[in-house]
Amino acid sequence: MRRPPGKKKFFFRRRKVCRMCAEKMNTVDYKDVRFLQQYIVERAKILPRRISGTCAKHQRIIQQAIKRARHLALLPYTSD
Amino acid sequence: MRTYELMFVVDPRLPDEEVVSLADSYREMLSGQGGKVTGEESWGKRKLAYPIEKLTEGTYHLFYVSAEKENPFPEVERRMQQNEKVLRYLTVRTDEGRLRYRERPEESPAPAPATGEEESR
Repeated sequence: MRRPPGKKKFFFRRRKVCRMCAEKMNTVDYKDVRFLQQYIVERAKILPRRISGTCAKHQRIIQQAIKRARHLALLPYTSD
Repeated sequence: MRTYELMFVVDPRLPDEEVVSLADSYREMLSGQGGKVTGEESWGKRKLAYPIEKLTEGTYHLFYVSAEKENPFPEVERRMQQNEKVLRYLTVRTDEGRLRYRERPEESPAPAPATGEEESR
């Protein structure tokens, strides 16, 4: 999509910061459902990095914890 | 030394005393295999996030185990697998700083989740 000439559009995008980095957490407990729930969307999908701003390292840790929690039915695989 | 957590979910229709005796037998088995149960948590009945075998609830129980050399879990896990009353189990290693229990007071408001709403309908 091309902008009309002479007009500049500005997008103010807040720089997202990995919340785990900010809190200096190195691990996530799969039992900490309240924490993990911040990283799943309503359909119970894992929130992608591009949305949550989580760094790669912490995304892996969160992902692992969510999958463990799902196995134990602490978190859903899907929800309608 | 290695530390582990073993969590399992049993059929909620199982009476409490049977859950206790089941936990007792697993604890014994773990200690018999060179493990040491350092802590234990009984969560009681909890709603399952999705139905398992048409059940909507499960009784959760958790062992904290430490072990030196040998792995104390194969026997216990085999027994859990065979027991139809055990709906789920999971063993996780918790040393190497992999799992630090995150203390989170109940009333502390969780920070608002990052904008994930547009992801879902």
